[in-house]
Amino acid sequence: MRKKYWLWVLLVGLAIGGLLVAGCAAKGPQTVKVGVILPLTGSEAMFGAMEKNSFLMAYEELKAAGKTNIKGKEIELLFEDDQGKQDVAKAAAEKLVNQDKVVMLSGGYTSSCTKVIAGSAQSMGIPFLIVTGSADDITKSGWQWVFRGTAAPASKYTGALWDMMEKVIKPQRVALIFENTDFGTSSAKAFRKACEDRGIKLVFDQAYEHGALDFKPMLANMKQTNPDVVFAVSYVMDAAMIVKQMKELDLNTNLVIGGGAGYTMPEFRQNAGDASEYVASVSLWVPNVAWPGAKEYFEKYKQKYGSEPDYHGAQAYATMYIIADVLNRAQDLTPEGIRKALKETNLTTIMGPIKFEDWEGFTNQSRPTTYVVQWLKGKLEVVWPENVASAKYVFPVPKWKERG
Amino acid sequence: MALLGQTVICGLLLGGMYALIAIGMTLIMGVMKIINLAHGSLVMVGMYVTYVCYRTWGLDPYLGMLVAMPVLFVLGCVIQHFLINRLLEVESILPENQVLLTVGISLVLTEIIRFIFKSDYRSITTPYTGEALLVGGMSVSIAMAIGFVIAMVFTYLLHLFLTRTDLGCAIRATAQDREAAQYMGVDARRVTVITFGLGSALAAAGGSLLLPLFYLWPDIGHLFTAKAFIITILGGMGSTTGALLGGLTLGVAESLGATYIGMGYKDVVGLVIFLLVLLFLPHGLRSLVKR
Repeated sequence: MRKKYWLWVLLVGLAIGGLLVAGCAAKGPQTVKVGVILPLTGSEAMFGAMEKNSFLMAYEELKAAGKTNIKGKEIELLFEDDQGKQDVAKAAAEKLVNQDKVVMLSGGYTSSCTKVIAGSAQSMGIPFLIVTGSADDITKSGWQWVFRGTAAPASKYTGALWDMMEKVIKPQRVALIFENTDFGTSSAKAFRKACEDRGIKLVFDQAYEHGALDFKPMLANMKQTNPDVVFAVSYVMDAAMIVKQMKELDLNTNLVIGGGAGYTMPEFRQNAGDASEYVASVSLWVPNVAWPGAKEYFEKYKQKYGSEPDYHGAQAYATMYIIADVLNRAQDLTPEGIRKALKETNLTTIMGPIKFEDWEGFTNQSRPTTYVVQWLKGKLEVVWPENVASAKYVFPVPKWKERG
Repeated sequence: MALLGQTVICGLLLGGMYALIAIGMTLIMGVMKIINLAHGSLVMVGMYVTYVCYRTWGLDPYLGMLVAMPVLFVLGCVIQHFLINRLLEVESILPENQVLLTVGISLVLTEIIRFIFKSDYRSITTPYTGEALLVGGMSVSIAMAIGFVIAMVFTYLLHLFLTRTDLGCAIRATAQDREAAQYMGVDARRVTVITFGLGSALAAAGGSLLLPLFYLWPDIGHLFTAKAFIITILGGMGSTTGALLGGLTLGVAESLGATYIGMGYKDVVGLVIFLLVLLFLPHGLRSLVKR
């Protein structure tokens, strides 16, 4: 009896398996499959969803323009969830390549997952185009199958800022505050080194616990050191609390610069109110940057999904455009053919020009364009580099008491 | 000197508001003999009520507080009457199952709020947000000062209520000895229901006072549960004066720690005090007086 039971299970299992394989095989030849691995659940899900939406929005636009049809075959996007976990990311990459037979991979949100996917892609010989993962070593490993276009290496985030520091800000006494997380401490480390290299004096350097109610003790301490520029790495609500309390303490500096993240988000403006005025930040993208299509993307996304996208969404949107461009140019749709086409990319996207080059030890890394942005009259304006600026920077900023 | 003054002022003002939240917890703990781990979630719900009042009717948070307190009083009574009292009556394997129940209640409240309001950060902006008085190089936030004063008024009113009214005496009697109080004709069930309601209302008041200063998201409750718990232990369970002193002590200690040790170690200061009190003053600050 028991044996028979197992036989049945086996038979049914085989039948279902066979059907699935047959189904996949039958579907296979008509589409060009592209695997996209994003964190669709878990703590990073909010950003994963934003990137997926942006991918789909770009896909629809490309489809309407007839660019998703490659020699009679439609591009098909296969999304896989990595849950923000490395092991799941690896399994997802292998599944997409071995079972779904995708011609290339994309996605990658957290640096840790991106690195795992990149490693798998490299060993399987499948091109991988990174969306967000930005740790330096991913494109410093000499992996010729791994391409990073829309994301800047983490150490190059502040490129535009240092350019502006040298030409405009010329800081003498810098204060550095950062949240004591991986992101905060690594950003602080890079900033500290950059100051050392330029001989700029760090007069205050302190970490804080994310989510604190009262930053005044730290800020009062900072006030005593009399800094002329403050560089702060914070998540959005801490950022709002910090600038509000700077106002309360009447802590005046020539400029407060945020290290990306919190200081560029719409929630920062909403929560900090007037205190957010004149705060600057480094950024990879803002809706009113001068690249064609950026503003339209922002408006369309807002209308379609009811929320404002940030640079993560823009990265995904631009990446989809790169994928379509590459597949259209590829001589043949083999991994090698696509890799060649990727290498020859020269495309201007909403994230700026994309060109995969080898430089400063990076492989297949597009040269990032970073910006300095500043809140002016309640709007986030690009102020540096000057050739793409949407407004003239204000420096030094007026003192709290002189503001109307 | 200005730095020290600034630090102490910040600590005292914040500590006053911590104290109000902790008094709610200590009251419940005194009467019920259970740790109410849902206390922070009640603060959170109170904050959301005030927030909704502000968004819908443009009600100032200090007036919204007068809406949030009755709402939370009723919510507290309902939780006590229909959930916790039922568990007090049954024999169970776990002696502290009421504590587990409060954890459950806290999860349910948090997730309901998340369901309605999503995980988004919310905050309100009032005319006095970000305003401060500058006194001799020290800045005193208006919202914090108002919050501190109101918190002290509530604490005093509660003290009067507990010492001068019949119901207050009944609450204190139940806290001292539940059975003896019952022999004296105190309806202990009713007293526990009212106490829980009162504790919840005070939690809501504390939350409303913090709303113009801070921001709001569904998981904020854990922060307050942790703070209130430390203060309650510091002040000795069930003691209003103890909770007040405990709140002020924690506030000042955190501030001093942030200024002179480092902002990153702010929470460590509170927890170290907590451990030291457990080790050397097991009855809280009261054991200092008795010696």
